[in-house]
Amino acid sequence: MAPDQSQWDDVTEMMDGGPDVNLGKYIGYWFENTPRRALFSTSYYKFAAKMIGHGKRVLDAGCNEGLGTWILASECGSAKGIDQDGDAIQTARSNWNDPRVEFHEGDFLQLPPEQWDAVVSLDVIEHILQENVDQFWRRIVDNLSHDGIAIIGAPSLEGQIYASEVSKAGHVNLYTAERLEKEMRTYFTHVFLFGANDEIVHTGFPPMSHYLLVVGCKKRV
Amino acid sequence: MSSNPSPEKKQWERVTDMLGDAGKTLGRHWSYNLRADPKRLGFVLSRYKFAAKMAGRERSVLELGCSEGIGVPILSEFAISYTGVDLDGPAIETAKKNWPHEKRRFIEDDFMGKSYGHFDSVISLDVIEHIYPEYESVFWETVAANLGEDGIVVIGTPNITAQAYASPASQKGHVNLFSAERLTTAMKTLFYNVFLFGMNDECMHTGFPAMAHYLLAVGCYRRQ
Repeated sequence: MAPDQSQWDDVTEMMDGGPDVNLGKYIGYWFENTPRRALFSTSYYKFAAKMIGHGKRVLDAGCNEGLGTWILASECGSAKGIDQDGDAIQTARSNWNDPRVEFHEGDFLQLPPEQWDAVVSLDVIEHILQENVDQFWRRIVDNLSHDGIAIIGAPSLEGQIYASEVSKAGHVNLYTAERLEKEMRTYFTHVFLFGANDEIVHTGFPPMSHYLLVVGCKKRV
Repeated sequence: MSSNPSPEKKQWERVTDMLGDAGKTLGRHWSYNLRADPKRLGFVLSRYKFAAKMAGRERSVLELGCSEGIGVPILSEFAISYTGVDLDGPAIETAKKNWPHEKRRFIEDDFMGKSYGHFDSVISLDVIEHIYPEYESVFWETVAANLGEDGIVVIGTPNITAQAYASPASQKGHVNLFSAERLTTAMKTLFYNVFLFGMNDECMHTGFPAMAHYLLAVGCYRRQ
């Protein structure tokens, strides 16, 4: 064996120690059809994790296959993902078997509230029917400690004309930056608005933002 | 060569006629900056834009350490009022001359230990690194004393990890440089919620803090 081969074997041995990761139906679809979407989603979760900081307990409402939940857990300390999609939760559990992360199959709106340091919910609110939106926000507020923060992400209404059919099919409640910020202010004293274009999170002109991220804190009680 | 102005020139004159007379002469600091390192203007204005976006619209803004007011147009654009304080007399004179507006107020004063009201946002960029560690607590007390109940604070300062690359003039003035961790810890004594951002050149991000050239911390929900 050439010396460089044995050295590489040492490297690959260091990578053992956990199960191989599966891409489920949802993230697998991204990689097959819209692979950059995986990059963008990862970037939004990283942004959320950085806003939350270290040593925190985080709830990820609408976690799907839990890739983002795992980012939150490994960056912030611990995280729990909840989703109604049973297959997705199964994929999440098989991939991220670690004491810092857990997953729950169920409806966030029905989950008994706990005092989390942060609630993250990306790409969920645009799927919530108008008549349930108030309940959605209240659930977020009820799941936060007094100094907990909420991070909500959603595609912008303005970017919708460029969305794929499969994406558009589920979007029943799309937001402009103005409406998202205003709505969040009814539940939080402080709201900070960010835009994202591709993986870049910024504070530029909101109507040209492809994606919106709002950070809320000091919940109103 | 024809003595008649070209149609393009006439067209351009219609544009320039619409501009009014907004020309101004910058003061000593910014004239120096633009001569020595003009791209720095982009970095500084980007910090101000970020602070203005965090502050939001229709807010009263206090800037501690406004110098010649290069950030005033951006900070006051969507604000209901802007107050800038600095102990540099000639810099304040430049600010008053260049950026007059009924909603803008400039005060020549050493702000340490003073209160000018209760503001919705208190912004202080490139100031804290010039305050000796023994007076740092007075700086934070001053921030708190000027902040309304639901006010937010934006503090910007160069990262201590970038000090090796600073100009000699910068290095001389930097007597209290912060790491991201120390800035966050200091802000957390005042606020329940602190959000840390990094900046490299004009790009704001949330990447690995030790490699951020500049640090920006946003604080809100003040502790009682």
